[in-house]
Amino acid sequence: MSEISNITSRQTGDSCVHVKHSSGLDIYICEMPGFSSTVALFGTKYGSVNTMFRQRDDEEMTVVPEGIAHFLEHKLFENEDCKVFELYAKTGASGNAFTSFDKTVYLFKCSKNWQDSLRILLDFVQKPYFTQELVDKELGIIGQEIRMTNDDPSWRVLFNMLSCMYRSHPVKIDIAGTEESISKITAELLYKCYDTFYNLNNMVLSVAGNITAEQVLKICDELLIPCQDKGLETVFPEEPDEIIQPEIREAQPIGAQLFYYGFKCRDCSGEERLRKTLAASTAASLITDDASEMYQDLLKKHIINTTFDAEVFCGDGFFTVIFMCESDYPEEVRSAVLAEIERWKTEGIDEKAFQRIKKSTYGSLIRELNNVDAVANLMLSSHMDGVSPYDAIDMLSELTSQDVLRFAEEELREDRAVLSIIEKEGEKQ
Amino acid sequence: MRFQRTEIAEGIGFSSIIDEKFKTTSIAVRFIVPLSSETSAANALGMAALTTTSKAYPTPALLNEKLSALYGAGLTSFARKRGDLQVLGVSASWICDRYAIDGEDISGEMLSIVRGCLFEPDAENGRFSDEPFAITKTDLLDRIEAELNNKRGYALAKAAENAFRGEPAANSCYGNKETASAVTPEIAFSAYENILRTAQVEITIVSPEEIPGAEADFRRELSAIDRSPVPVVFRSKSPVKAEPETLSQEMDVNQCKMVMTMKSDSDDIYAMRMLSVILGELPVSKLFLNVREKLSLCYYCASGYSATKGALIIDSGVQRSNIDKVREEILRQIQLVCDGEITDQELESALLSREDILASVGDTPASWSSWYFERLCEGGISAPEDVLLDYKAVTKARIVEAARSLKLDSVWLMLDKEVG
Repeated sequence: MSEISNITSRQTGDSCVHVKHSSGLDIYICEMPGFSSTVALFGTKYGSVNTMFRQRDDEEMTVVPEGIAHFLEHKLFENEDCKVFELYAKTGASGNAFTSFDKTVYLFKCSKNWQDSLRILLDFVQKPYFTQELVDKELGIIGQEIRMTNDDPSWRVLFNMLSCMYRSHPVKIDIAGTEESISKITAELLYKCYDTFYNLNNMVLSVAGNITAEQVLKICDELLIPCQDKGLETVFPEEPDEIIQPEIREAQPIGAQLFYYGFKCRDCSGEERLRKTLAASTAASLITDDASEMYQDLLKKHIINTTFDAEVFCGDGFFTVIFMCESDYPEEVRSAVLAEIERWKTEGIDEKAFQRIKKSTYGSLIRELNNVDAVANLMLSSHMDGVSPYDAIDMLSELTSQDVLRFAEEELREDRAVLSIIEKEGEKQ
Repeated sequence: MRFQRTEIAEGIGFSSIIDEKFKTTSIAVRFIVPLSSETSAANALGMAALTTTSKAYPTPALLNEKLSALYGAGLTSFARKRGDLQVLGVSASWICDRYAIDGEDISGEMLSIVRGCLFEPDAENGRFSDEPFAITKTDLLDRIEAELNNKRGYALAKAAENAFRGEPAANSCYGNKETASAVTPEIAFSAYENILRTAQVEITIVSPEEIPGAEADFRRELSAIDRSPVPVVFRSKSPVKAEPETLSQEMDVNQCKMVMTMKSDSDDIYAMRMLSVILGELPVSKLFLNVREKLSLCYYCASGYSATKGALIIDSGVQRSNIDKVREEILRQIQLVCDGEITDQELESALLSREDILASVGDTPASWSSWYFERLCEGGISAPEDVLLDYKAVTKARIVEAARSLKLDSVWLMLDKEVG
């Protein structure tokens, strides 16, 4: 029997339905009256970081080539008898997929025929068809994708930073792998990964928009093939708290130099990670606050421009806070960020600024609930992160400036920070 | 949804879109002027200065502090190219008052801020204040420099520069490094005044509820300006070059880029758009299925149609040794359409995709706002369902005719430094 529960936000009154389906799948549904679109995401907790794993009955760990999760995502779009896009073309839906560090998600967006499109999505993701010929054909396409991202300075600056930050954790590996690593992928390996990670107990379906929960569940009942939980165990190599080296530079043919300055923080999971993320993002927002004296001073001196920003980047086994900007003076920005953190330690955090940033974050969370894509993504990501979709908005109200200060004192440490710079070619230092 | 547009003065439209499902309100004030290399940078800066500071908020810190206190309200200026025109403006969005924890009148305050930025800028004696203007200008110069960071975007911009050489559309909507460097606080302020005086103006508010007085407030502010609007031409087809040109630039890149510009004198814009969908806008389009999937030559090979210039642009990221193969295959696929090779399924898929996109226009405030603006630029107000009828009327014969009207104008290549 499936278990159905309603989840409601205390702050906004928004609600959605969670179903633990008898097949093993977790399903989230948000009916959004008045909207025309429907967005459905069918995802597995399987991304580029999952390079080592085993199931309960396996004696040994399986280690797979870098980039295989992304490769599998590409290949799942080919059925035995046709391509999935040909099926979507008959409903009008726009189908797509993406692979990130810790998840692979298949999705469609449509305004008509959503039930037919949902049937296509649930069906093809449960029916893999891999042959060596199809694998070989994809090498050229993904090879070009890898080359394209290698020309993207905002991609390179991130991976260069991660390579100096993480000694063992596979988050430092490019999601698509390398042209060399993907050449080792075989149809057999794809099946092994599929059988391990595309188990409904490791997956989630998220549907939002112009739908009813009843209709969604009826289609799920028809199409989901029950899975036995095989006790998946993903393993990450032990990762020390320390970084490898504090600085890295690469020259590229670019117009504007850019940098990432990231702090390696201790990882955690579930509600603890969400609380930590809120504290971290508030700390980062206070440092990049465009109303602050520090920001305006750096701006006037042209040490930064309005691209100065920050983000919290975290997942299974990794947690970093990254400051970024297109700037010719990354070292000066680094010094300013560290000085601001030091200032907090002696003077504390300005309570007025903290409350203002909290309001701003609240506003952005409300905006998220105004958009079908964002709601579908929120439900899926929250589940994969082990929290409820509206936990962030509720936890935010409990966040204090002391929580932020504690986070900064414990985690934003100079000796665990990496500065990654993409320099203009010909201007290498 | 309720849509209403009123002409509040000559050349000034005020549109109100009330859609109860939204949790936010947004406004866009768009100014449409001719695009020119002489004025584009000054116009862009004259507009950008408006959202850096205002008379009421004379430092960027004060303005930003106010916006974040209003639950992170967004306020930004923009400059875009639309064919031979420059579309400039100010836009803002904020959460509805019912979500205000402390009971603030967010809408009232934000509309007042937007009007203040537009009509009471931080300027005296015919010039913007020096310090905030210097920040705005530096930011624009940085943005111009950073264009090369995005290789695909850079390739498309260079291809447009070459394809539309001698026409306004060859220019960037931000100007270039030289023209932007030359703009002073006086020049930018003069450009701002000129925009207020001469531009066609469209103001669009998208909100879940009526905002009493919003229209009257803008009407009052705008009536104080001595306006002489300059008519603009929204569509100006680009003439095809006598012989196709190929230009290239070598760079230390991993992947080459190829942008092909085809031109057409056809006025059948719906057939041209359907042609573009069939060729390269979907994962079942001819270029995706053949250049990418069948021949494994690239990761992307896509097309887009610019009705304003009568140009179909196809771009791809490829290995240097495959450039000729990709070009030949693209031209072969176009020739197949010219020969009538369009399946019923291709036609139906293209139409279904258009239908789906049109049905979802009302799902974000931004898409509602740009929908009606774009329709006005195309000659009149029409709802998505009206436009769907235009797509449904497109026949295979019209698409074939559209394809036959295409002529190759130019090819722009970004080449890696390997020996080919």
